[in-house]
Amino acid sequence: MTKQNKKLAEILAEKGLGLNQRYGGGENSDAITEREKLPYEPTKRAKKLMDLYYQTLASTSTEWTYWYTRKYEEMDGDVQIVRRAHALANAFRHVTTSIYPGEILVGGKASYMRGSYPMPWLNQSFFAAQKDQFSDKAKGNAQREADKQAVLGEGGGNVTKDMPGILSLAGKFGVRMEEVSGLNKITDYWEGKTVFDLGEKYSARVPEFKIKNDIGRTLTARPDSAYTIPVGREVVNYYYPLAWGWDKVVEYCDKRAEEVAGHAGGDGLRGMDRLYYYESVIILVKGIQAWIENYAKEARRLEKITPDEKQKQEFVDIAERCQWIAHNQPRTFVEAAQLAYFTHIALVNEEVASGVSPGRLGQVLYPWYEQDIAAGRTNDHEVLELLECMRVKFTCMDLFVSGSSTSVLSGNTFNNLTVGGLTRDGKPACNRLEWLILHAAETLQSPQPTLSILWDEKLPEDFVLKAAEVVKTGTGYPAWMNNQVGIQFLMKQYGPEGMTEEEARAIAIGGCLETSPCCWKELTLNGKKYEIPGGAGNSTSIGVHFISNPKILSLVLDNGYDTKYGFQLFPPHNKKLDTYEELWETFCEYYKYCINTLLRCCNIQHDIHRKFDIPLLQSTLKPDCLETGYEHANMGYRYNATYNIETSGTINMVNSLAALKKLVYEEKKYTLEEMRDALHHNFGFYTPAESGNYSMGEQIKKDHMEQYDEIHSDCLLAPKYGNDEGYCEQILKEYEEWLCPTCRTFESVFGLPMYACQISVSTQGLLGQGCPATADGRLEGTTFADASMSAYPGTDKSGPYALFNSATVWDHSESQNSQMNLKLHPTAVKGEAGTRRLMDLAIAYMKKGGFHIQFNVVDSNLLKKAQKNPENYRDLMVRVAGFTQYWVEIGKPIQDEVVARTEYEGV
Amino acid sequence: MKEEKGLVFDIQGFSVHDGPGCRTLVFLSGCPLHCPWCANPEGMKKRPQLLFSRQKCRYEKSHCRRCLSVCPHGGVRQTGDPDNPLEFDHAICGKCTTFECAKACAHEAARISGQYRTTGEVMRILRRDREYWDSQGGPGFSGGEPMAQPAFLKSILTACKEEEMNTSIETTAYVEPDIFFPIMEKIDFAFIDVKHMDSDRHAKMTGVGNERILSNIEALSGSSWKGRLILRMPVIEGFNDSLENAEKLAAFMKKNGLFEINILPFHRLGTSKWEQLGKKYPYAEYLPTEEAVLEKLQEYYLDQRIACYVGDDVVY
Repeated sequence: MTKQNKKLAEILAEKGLGLNQRYGGGENSDAITEREKLPYEPTKRAKKLMDLYYQTLASTSTEWTYWYTRKYEEMDGDVQIVRRAHALANAFRHVTTSIYPGEILVGGKASYMRGSYPMPWLNQSFFAAQKDQFSDKAKGNAQREADKQAVLGEGGGNVTKDMPGILSLAGKFGVRMEEVSGLNKITDYWEGKTVFDLGEKYSARVPEFKIKNDIGRTLTARPDSAYTIPVGREVVNYYYPLAWGWDKVVEYCDKRAEEVAGHAGGDGLRGMDRLYYYESVIILVKGIQAWIENYAKEARRLEKITPDEKQKQEFVDIAERCQWIAHNQPRTFVEAAQLAYFTHIALVNEEVASGVSPGRLGQVLYPWYEQDIAAGRTNDHEVLELLECMRVKFTCMDLFVSGSSTSVLSGNTFNNLTVGGLTRDGKPACNRLEWLILHAAETLQSPQPTLSILWDEKLPEDFVLKAAEVVKTGTGYPAWMNNQVGIQFLMKQYGPEGMTEEEARAIAIGGCLETSPCCWKELTLNGKKYEIPGGAGNSTSIGVHFISNPKILSLVLDNGYDTKYGFQLFPPHNKKLDTYEELWETFCEYYKYCINTLLRCCNIQHDIHRKFDIPLLQSTLKPDCLETGYEHANMGYRYNATYNIETSGTINMVNSLAALKKLVYEEKKYTLEEMRDALHHNFGFYTPAESGNYSMGEQIKKDHMEQYDEIHSDCLLAPKYGNDEGYCEQILKEYEEWLCPTCRTFESVFGLPMYACQISVSTQGLLGQGCPATADGRLEGTTFADASMSAYPGTDKSGPYALFNSATVWDHSESQNSQMNLKLHPTAVKGEAGTRRLMDLAIAYMKKGGFHIQFNVVDSNLLKKAQKNPENYRDLMVRVAGFTQYWVEIGKPIQDEVVARTEYEGV
Repeated sequence: MKEEKGLVFDIQGFSVHDGPGCRTLVFLSGCPLHCPWCANPEGMKKRPQLLFSRQKCRYEKSHCRRCLSVCPHGGVRQTGDPDNPLEFDHAICGKCTTFECAKACAHEAARISGQYRTTGEVMRILRRDREYWDSQGGPGFSGGEPMAQPAFLKSILTACKEEEMNTSIETTAYVEPDIFFPIMEKIDFAFIDVKHMDSDRHAKMTGVGNERILSNIEALSGSSWKGRLILRMPVIEGFNDSLENAEKLAAFMKKNGLFEINILPFHRLGTSKWEQLGKKYPYAEYLPTEEAVLEKLQEYYLDQRIACYVGDDVVY
């Protein structure tokens, strides 16, 4: 506390005013001084590991790919699920297990600190297409290696260019040259056998098959849900390993296999599959056990060669821990955390999965925390250190996907950790461990795991304030989710599958902001009973991937003709569009046509995927597979209606409809033909492909094109969403009240109703590139408004309260989610009073019915500076769409969009 | 509710530096003082005014000529200078009431500051924002000088109080007591600016003497008014940053039982607004107040047992 503040406090106290009058003073009495710097430091151990991470590059290895393929080939002829179990188990047994000095938590996806694997059994075309080029490079590079200078530039840990001995894959991952020939050979094996090959083969029967591929090519939607990241956006269930231990899982499956062998169990379709399922789980779990034991072996090896006594002891402890948890229920908090982490890694290695989320991990691990603290086995300092180490571990997690998927995901793996919410009986569920999880995100700032708070009115205020304080670090998390709105959505979607309100309270966020169905399980630790939450549903954010809403409207105006790509994309509707009503109805028809086209093909893809690439570990961990013997494909999860339809560019579509309605149909200032002409000519501007910049502000006008000035200016001045004026809001409401029920009329591969998912991830950049100029004045190829409820940058001129009103004109519980990104200037949330303001702002929006809000507390000037000098900003993080990412690892279009987002500063 | 009409040049939700809590600030046009360092010069006059921002103009980048093509008054012309291609004749634009250019400009380069609004319109926004304020927050009134439109302000405040909103104001207090007191009765939190203790110097800089201001403050502190009052002083180099002035102000405060002051460092954020009005900012060359000056003043007030807050660090 500075001298001045001491005096200030005294003077105010005399007058009966506390320095912290609004917080009741007490312990935090020096809060006003320099609170803003959030002077938290990571522990030495975690900082060392994080520094190591900053020096690592995204590296891919073929170990997993090789051992999987080798066994898969060998098991030709066996039942598919058993064959896959053998392949997975073989990969687990053989991958190199690396341990880094100073680690408490050990393990990783691959032997590299920031490693990942290509999985060509989903889709090998990416590798096949570049095979020759890879080989040439591998040969040539060996000779030229010595001459080459390492090219390490912008992009943080991304390997964007080839380096000596290293080939850059998909613009992000480095692979060692000597592995290339092996990779090519493995790729050859999978030709014709991948989910992609079979999916394309059979979906060719869908009459609109060709249009499906054209939809993808023209960036009208992201077409192929099952070839890229077929599972994920779901919440992990750690119950069985934590409550039973792996040995008991094997024992249980042995017993069940004997019981079900030869019995259909009254189910002629699925009953006989149960035997193969249990056999497979046994094979897989034994592979995972061997993998964990390999870490024990490695620790013992390191212990022998390590001179440092302290480090030696730590290796001994690691070996002992791994050996124990490979078989048994964990005994301590560290063991429980290590086992949960191993389980998590095993899940992200079994399949190309993004958004595999720890869910309410602080509530899952609480029993061990509570008992260790009570017994004096650990203290909060040690726990915080471990949680920091866990942050480093999750940040190291990479995902190998091809280039365009990377630009959608901005390279993020979305391991969402949820705090808050309610217990089964409706009490606040937050606990001291969750408080430490929040705190660890301040002391060790890293993109993963990203955090979400399930806000409920019942949560204690100090906990919510802590969450608000974490936002101020600038990392953007936690995101704020409205617990009650989420529960309402779950009840509507999963009620028909038997979800009760008590069960709905187990809710957590999977991936970016995908509301996921979960359940409670009873766990016993040293005789004491606890109830822990965990995932109980299939993956979400699959089914129909992001549809470009503005592009659909553009197709409506041009009778199905894609003006950007120059061909007839959709069958012509041949309507005159004489009235706004006809325009809107035609939009709805085209939209349904687009969903239907994509869905029929995607259902086939997902059917192939579930037949061949069975997510077996998910099908072990998630209730009620293990009990029933039904896996993923046999709808063994408790909740299966999880597939969804995703949208993108909602606000540009709303604003465009508003401009058309006002200028063409109401005021009749322009004819539809005049509007089309202006849009076709991009309002007289060059395209971004010509100008090289995707942000709206940087577009360049052609000479002598003044004839479009007036119409462009009228389009820009037409009503815009976000100002609480009612015009656009009415259109948004009409759209949402049409979209949400419409999505429910479509049926997933499981024959269950789908629903709307309204997040943007980073598709606003990619899909914007494929969209012609729109009637809201947006120019061709430029980025859409981000999220689904944020205003288009610069068009919300009436402040956040007006924006909130605009966003809540519809019922958010009708959709899996909605997304509101807000940029706040650091001065607006300065000090402890600022923390409270941030909390109040988030809560005010949710009370009004908003489902989600998240903040970027950052000064635009800083971002611009970082764009110019990326080398100085390796650790600068921003909130992109539903996740946090290093600024330097984000593509330029999305960077431009974040800079342009309206910044609320307060006065 | 008595329906009045007034000129408002901005309404900002989520205002966090001008009173307790999150507030919605209503900026009323017109000010009896003319401080040359003013950061809101567009609020000085009680009439809608044209602002033109060169940075936002798309004349060069997009060859936009909208303002030129719509202005019937000959107020805007091309200069041929690529750095400053458009010139607004403020002699003409200053008299304009139709503002065709601002209505046609899609980039907010030409815009109108000051819009006539009714009590009902303002209340509609305040009622909307009420759902978002915290328990401390509410409507706030600033300017210009909010009391320069007394009937309008009073009608809004009456409505606010009928709906039990927590009100705040930032005022110069340079108004007749029979205007000042009925308004203050409806205010819960007030910042009153005291630019200088010496009336001659006050008059030289702001155009008016400080007697009325000081007597209003004196009378207010002696009254039964229940609100909280913090004095405010922008620290202007060479004008009011002396210890001597602080001594006088401190003595005045003690005499009247006041114990809180907020000193505001000078900043140049208003520069672009002066330019947009086509005027030269008299303080364009002045540097932001030095930390040492602020510290010295704060130190002095604290020694006098006066709670002195610097900049945004007000304890609400």
